[in-house]
Amino acid sequence: MSVNLGLGQVSNDFLIAALVVYSLSVLAFAGDFAFGRPRRAASAAGAQRAASEARVAQLAAVGAAVAGAQTVAGAPAAAKPPADVTAPGEAGRPADAVPAGADPAAPPATGETRAAGPEQGRPLPEVVPSGFGAVRQAGAWVQAALALSVLGVSAHTVAVVTRGLAVHRAPWGNMYEFVTALTCVATIFFVGVILRYRAWALGVFVMGSVVVALGLTETLIYTAAGPLVPALQSYWLDIHVAAMTLATGIFFVAAVFGVVYLVAGRYGKRVPAGKAAPGNGIVLRLPGAEQLDRLTYRTVVFGFPVWTFGVIAGAIWADQAWGRYWGWDPVETWAFITWVLYACFLHARATAGWRGRRAHLIQLLGFASLIFNVLVVQVFVTGMHSYAGVG
Amino acid sequence: MTDVRAEEAAAGLDIVPSGAGSGGAGAGSDGAGSDGTGKSAPPSFGISGWLTWGWRQLTSMRTALVLLFLLALGSVPGSMLPQEGADPAGVQQYFTSHPALAPLLNHLGLFNVFAAPWFAAIYLLLFTSLVGCVVPRTFRLAGSARSLPPRAPRFLSRLPHSAGYSTALPPDEAIEAAAGVLARRGFRLRRAPAAETWVSAERGYLREAGNLLFHLALLGVLVSIALGGLFGYKADKLLVAGQTFADTRSALDEFHPGRLVGGGDLPPFTITLNQFAASYLESGPDRGQPSFFDARISYTASPGDPARSYDLEINRPLSVDSTKVYLIGHGYAPVFRVTDARGQVVYNAATPFIPGSTGNFLSEGVVKVPGAQPQQLGFLCVFVPTAVDVGGTLESVFPAAGNPAVSLIAYAGDLGMNSGVPQSVYQLDTAGMRRLTTGTELLQPGQTLRLPGGRGTIAFTGYRQWVSLQITHDPGQLPALACGIAALAGLLLSFMVRRRRVFVRARAGERGTTVQVGGLARTDASGGFEDEFASLANELAAAHHSTGPARQSETGE
Repeated sequence: MSVNLGLGQVSNDFLIAALVVYSLSVLAFAGDFAFGRPRRAASAAGAQRAASEARVAQLAAVGAAVAGAQTVAGAPAAAKPPADVTAPGEAGRPADAVPAGADPAAPPATGETRAAGPEQGRPLPEVVPSGFGAVRQAGAWVQAALALSVLGVSAHTVAVVTRGLAVHRAPWGNMYEFVTALTCVATIFFVGVILRYRAWALGVFVMGSVVVALGLTETLIYTAAGPLVPALQSYWLDIHVAAMTLATGIFFVAAVFGVVYLVAGRYGKRVPAGKAAPGNGIVLRLPGAEQLDRLTYRTVVFGFPVWTFGVIAGAIWADQAWGRYWGWDPVETWAFITWVLYACFLHARATAGWRGRRAHLIQLLGFASLIFNVLVVQVFVTGMHSYAGVG
Repeated sequence: MTDVRAEEAAAGLDIVPSGAGSGGAGAGSDGAGSDGTGKSAPPSFGISGWLTWGWRQLTSMRTALVLLFLLALGSVPGSMLPQEGADPAGVQQYFTSHPALAPLLNHLGLFNVFAAPWFAAIYLLLFTSLVGCVVPRTFRLAGSARSLPPRAPRFLSRLPHSAGYSTALPPDEAIEAAAGVLARRGFRLRRAPAAETWVSAERGYLREAGNLLFHLALLGVLVSIALGGLFGYKADKLLVAGQTFADTRSALDEFHPGRLVGGGDLPPFTITLNQFAASYLESGPDRGQPSFFDARISYTASPGDPARSYDLEINRPLSVDSTKVYLIGHGYAPVFRVTDARGQVVYNAATPFIPGSTGNFLSEGVVKVPGAQPQQLGFLCVFVPTAVDVGGTLESVFPAAGNPAVSLIAYAGDLGMNSGVPQSVYQLDTAGMRRLTTGTELLQPGQTLRLPGGRGTIAFTGYRQWVSLQITHDPGQLPALACGIAALAGLLLSFMVRRRRVFVRARAGERGTTVQVGGLARTDASGGFEDEFASLANELAAAHHSTGPARQSETGE
């Protein structure tokens, strides 16, 4: 079937629109940093750590059992007010969250038991308000940023879908389409993260990275809509590359989180050493280190099985197309390296001495290997995956 | 010991005797729980002590992590340098262009990384470490699946999640109601002895089971690959349209058997290539890019069977008798008829040419005529599917045969075929030969070239197409797929299921009964225990017809 050039043009227009709207959303996220409702999170991370350590000590005394990092479970990525130290039952409750249960399904007991004192006062836990409710509380800048993000994601999705309709196949057949689709996944995923974990403080970084990636794609490797070579004409293209695109989009978000974690962590270390001035406005607005760490971890946990599935689907396809399910083709090798590095991250997070900074460096190394695979190996190293359609 | 397990041990925690990463690296080969002394100084007693120490080091998480790193690092040269398995010509070229460096790299096995002993050492150590961690954990999981959840701690408010409220129900009835709620939610229960009023509940054993399944399945993938290497084989066959071949060792162009495979293990099928069609984009920026390949074949599965037809395409292999036949390449085979000085036809065959790297199927090949008299004849030829004269040189502007032409150089003399040294059919050894034509001669289909000195003629009568087939048999394929799927399932289980415990205590207080609910999740990779606990606590409270604010008893808190 021939390429529908009109639809291809529609796709291009929507992508430009998405890029513009995304840029505006970055401005709005930045506006929240500059003018938005301030957070009470001055020393949330430190206070939280103290609280959890205290609790571990208590636990040890009773002989009850729980692992250290588990002590602060619950909604991550939200800065907690220092008040939480005295109200441990509120662990993980975001500062901006609505105090009263917004969920009508919650039993009537909710909220009534709050009067109890700090030590004995472990009232019935409240059902955390919905993400939309939290966003409403967060102020106009966050609302605007989220609305723009959703608008941009919609335009972006239309761009990807129309591209697929224009070429009568899944819209991830060359590198331009791949990056377009993976950034779409990243933004959809991140909007979900905002709503579930109230992580809008990370918006300027994630959406900013998406704008940069998409802008570079549009200017450097734009490829007009076209049909595929026979080797790619298989429904396994849809499955294998779809999984790889999904996983890459998710890992993209995880990588941004990881960088924020490292930079904020470095700042946190430099302040006591006197090398940086305390009270950095941006860092104060970020989630605490532990929450950032957990958010990154959960993002990787989400992406890792998808990547694994993508590798397996690729092996099945390789068996169909090339007569072997694994042949250490350069791209296969790098997909394997990426998989191993993310596995390293998952293990490192459970190995003392490797947690925190080191684990996140490994995670970023994993993402670097993924990007290296896409940008260098597929383009410059001769192999059976040389389909990038660049240059 | 810098492992998490040590921390747990120090904290006196015992939710599960093994210590895994508290953050719950779901994929973690979390290591042997007995490994509480990993980094302490090696013991100064006997061989068995050293062995134990070494084994603990090997099965520790840190070692596994380092080995994983090495595995990733070791794979890098395998993708950066040409590999013997995938690209033998590239290896040859590397030896030519880097004469000093190449032998050194070869010595290190860097041209065959994935079969190199040092690479095998990494993954075998890794899998040994994995076994050493997974097997004890399997026993522990089996043990904890048989035993009951632990007794409820005395002070539930010290657990990471807890809630308290009072109810009008007497303590034993409150516990009874709580047990009902927990049982309905699928928890395993442990009831208190008669005099006490508490209940313990635990769920999510599948998390650890999934984690173990994942690691065991990886082991299965390794075994499957080994199975393929021992009992599988791979063969190549170039087949010109109209020709038939039987799957025997002598008929195959290349045969790479596994270690335990002989020529007699080949299934006795025959394949005829009836027709091959390729189509290419005619216009646009990607003009000449292939758009479709289709090889029409007929095959008989074993002698005497009826012939069946099949359309062999890329991504659509033929399965016959436990082997698979793939279409992996194609090209042109121009047909030549050669007569010698006596006027006898000494050669009349389609000759497969190899497409060059210049694109558009500019193909090279040779014609060897050992039967020609008085001297043997040889021709170096180039086949051009769509020929265009660009400033005196012949170029191909399109891969389809729009304007086919052959240019050739003729030689006479000794082809050297009887020297005992095996020759490639695609190369002409001109050492013992004399060039007959001064320049290259151009022939179009149907044209004949008269050789100088009355040595005969060569006619380019037309062309056929050939396909290259790959025939593979890999008994490890299905097991590998099954293990891959099992690994994925295990991964999902270990990430999505959380193992958690919930305790309920009821005490008679001044104003009714005080109920304490406590909960903890040991591993909660995807989060959400807080929400689950909140909803559970509220459900329990509702079941107890909770009345008003909590009034804790003053004793013990």
